[in-house]
Amino acid sequence: MEKIKIKINDNEVEVEQGKTILQVAKELNLHIPTLCYLEPLSPQGACRLCLVEDRGKLVTSCTTPVAPNMDIKLDTPNVVNSRKLILQLLFTERNHYCMYCEQSGNCELQNLGYEFGLDHFEFSTYEKKFSIDNSHDYIIMDPNRCVLCRRCVRACSELAGHFVLGEMNRGIETLIIADMNVPLGESSCTSCGLCAQVCPTGAIVDKRSVYLGKDVQTDIIYSNCNECAVGCGTKVYKKKNSNFIVKIYGDMDSEINGGVLCKIGRFSALFDEKPRVISSKIKDDFGFRKLDSDKIMKLISEKMDELYVYVDGSLFNEELELIKSIFKDKVYSLYPNEPQIPSNVTLNDLKNANEFIVIGVDLNREFGVIGSFVKRKVLGGDGKLAVFDSNFNSLAQISHYTFNLNELKDGLEKLKEFKSPIVIYKELPKDIIEILKGKENLKYLWLPPETNSIGLNKLNIKHEIKNSKTILFFGENIEALKNFDKNTFIIAFTPYEPEDLLRRANVIVGISNGFERDGTFYNLDGKLLKKEKILSPKFETLDLKKFLNEFKNVSLVK
Amino acid sequence: MKKIKVASIWCESCSGCHMSILDMDERLVELINKGLELNATPITDLKVPDDDTDIGIIEGAVATDHHEEEVKMMREKCKFIVAIGDCAVFGGIVTMRNYVPLNELLKRGYIETESTVDGKIPTSPELGKHLPKVKAVNEVIKVDYYIPGCPPSADAIYHVLKEILEGKTPVLTGELLKYE
Ligand code: SF4
Ligand code: SF4
Ligand code: SF4
Ligand code: SF4
Ligand code: FES
Repeated sequence: MEKIKIKINDNEVEVEQGKTILQVAKELNLHIPTLCYLEPLSPQGACRLCLVEDRGKLVTSCTTPVAPNMDIKLDTPNVVNSRKLILQLLFTERNHYCMYCEQSGNCELQNLGYEFGLDHFEFSTYEKKFSIDNSHDYIIMDPNRCVLCRRCVRACSELAGHFVLGEMNRGIETLIIADMNVPLGESSCTSCGLCAQVCPTGAIVDKRSVYLGKDVQTDIIYSNCNECAVGCGTKVYKKKNSNFIVKIYGDMDSEINGGVLCKIGRFSALFDEKPRVISSKIKDDFGFRKLDSDKIMKLISEKMDELYVYVDGSLFNEELELIKSIFKDKVYSLYPNEPQIPSNVTLNDLKNANEFIVIGVDLNREFGVIGSFVKRKVLGGDGKLAVFDSNFNSLAQISHYTFNLNELKDGLEKLKEFKSPIVIYKELPKDIIEILKGKENLKYLWLPPETNSIGLNKLNIKHEIKNSKTILFFGENIEALKNFDKNTFIIAFTPYEPEDLLRRANVIVGISNGFERDGTFYNLDGKLLKKEKILSPKFETLDLKKFLNEFKNVSLVK
Repeated sequence: MKKIKVASIWCESCSGCHMSILDMDERLVELINKGLELNATPITDLKVPDDDTDIGIIEGAVATDHHEEEVKMMREKCKFIVAIGDCAVFGGIVTMRNYVPLNELLKRGYIETESTVDGKIPTSPELGKHLPKVKAVNEVIKVDYYIPGCPPSADAIYHVLKEILEGKTPVLTGELLKYE
């Protein structure tokens, strides 16, 4: 990039052409207040707070590129007074009585008010009341607190790829709307929650988190989401000196997701009401009886010769390794973990691709962040999409081609304009796989069925259902335990307690869930990621790693 | 030593700001020793300040015609007006009523609340009449200094009074300005 010379605050500096004044100032560690600007969204120039003076003229630094001979002044009285005036106008337009706003204490507009010493309103306030949209399960939109910075609009489209939000009317009457002005809860919103994360004010808030506390009352823990095999980077806000999560944000600096999350990653921990296994118990003729960890060990030791061990992809590598080191070749995976056709593209390839064939998976419902990558290209006008599915697939609404799964062969023939598309699939019937394998121009991204499917695969833990007298299960997804013979004695180490489990298992041992233990897993790119321990175990659950280590020692002594 | 006369009133508000004044504790004595003299205040229970009052402190929003008269009287009798607390400074929590029609609001408050039996909207001529819109003090009279906060901290009030006593112009920054 070509370098040019400009003056900033009377110092001559060499800067790269093409950058904005704001970018250059940031690199020089010079502070310019901003409101509508947010990396990595495109600059909009909506709020005017980032004004600076260039040879006597006020310009917005977030949208103005540097140019030769510029003589920039950051803090002249003219600049400071203009910013104050703009802030005064922002505070008086709409309802900014912080006193009855849940965002107070966490608000960028309020912080700017503090920064500029605003101690009263200069103008009387605009009294028009806009109606609040409370139709969404997780999000409240309150236009009365909106400063029309359009961060939400840009984030929903440019980053999350959902293109739900837009604006309506003009001037002071402008409103942020969903789709063609329908309530958010009835719109095409996927509940990714990014708009609430980026909104600088109380205009879009996550209705649970906003009542749980302010950022200063939380500890921020960087961790990877382990709800699926994408492994998105998250910032988890945990209430200080308490044992609950206030909110989960996408980590804007994460190479995997760049800040975007899906509904599951953002909200499921906040709304986790699944019944937990609160202690360990064994079933006899009268029901369940409590069991302590020594007894569990004894029981397993006694059955050592007749048991097979099953694990699922909710376990971390460290736990899987320990289980393998104890039970050796008796360890199997309850679910398939082998790709039917291995991936030959990475997430980064996917982000840059323009041709997508999605087969048999609805990316608005699972692997939502993969959905974001596809949608931001397709809806952004830069990508082509074909969907093959035998079930309802919500992506069909935006795809250029939609086929039933059994039309795959002919359908692929019709995609003439697709040069080397990426096929995104999870699990498909054999004949479908054969058709795909016959094509040469296709690239593949396999969506592993479980979070740590790749870890299981790397440890060579095969999927095979063996019938035996006793089964030891470690994991979260008990679904396939049904496939075992009725007389099999099942000992399940698991965090949640669905009703079928009570019916089927003979011994149930409560373990911590994903937020209460830490460990590593491999995402679908084969990247080793870390899930941090955020919460302390809530019940008398057993520490799986500790238990396995003790058991290992006991069985070694024998 | 020249005395600095201080008067205060509260309009539509919860009196929390006056609690914050008392919350200055021994620093109130320090200010009195420096020349501060409490004139008409809810604390001294005098209603009308002297004509030569120096500082008039106003808590609360202007919600009725009585409040309007009172703040105008304060302006006439006091050299400096200090608006304290979010209600006086911005209109505060009281402005919530600006978004609901007045008759609906009175009905809800006096008749329809779940715990009310045979309620009725008070009509005594002694009561102030509601203005159509709740206002911040500076929408009615000129205000010289502002201390926002709900309630403002005793530290902020102390800072402002001390600066005025020492002949300086009080400016709130940092934590003293923070609403919470
Ligand atoms: S959005 Fe921010 S500035 Fe507006 S009322 Fe809420 S806290 Fe105050
Ligand atoms: S939750 Fe996500 S999809 Fe829905 S409006 Fe907000 S950013 Fe868009
Ligand atoms: S809702 Fe929030 S993010 Fe969107 S324009 Fe308004 S203030 Fe900005
Ligand atoms: S895509 Fe997967 S890893 Fe990312 S937030 Fe959603 S559930 Fe979590
Ligand atoms: S930050 Fe530049 S105009 Fe808003």
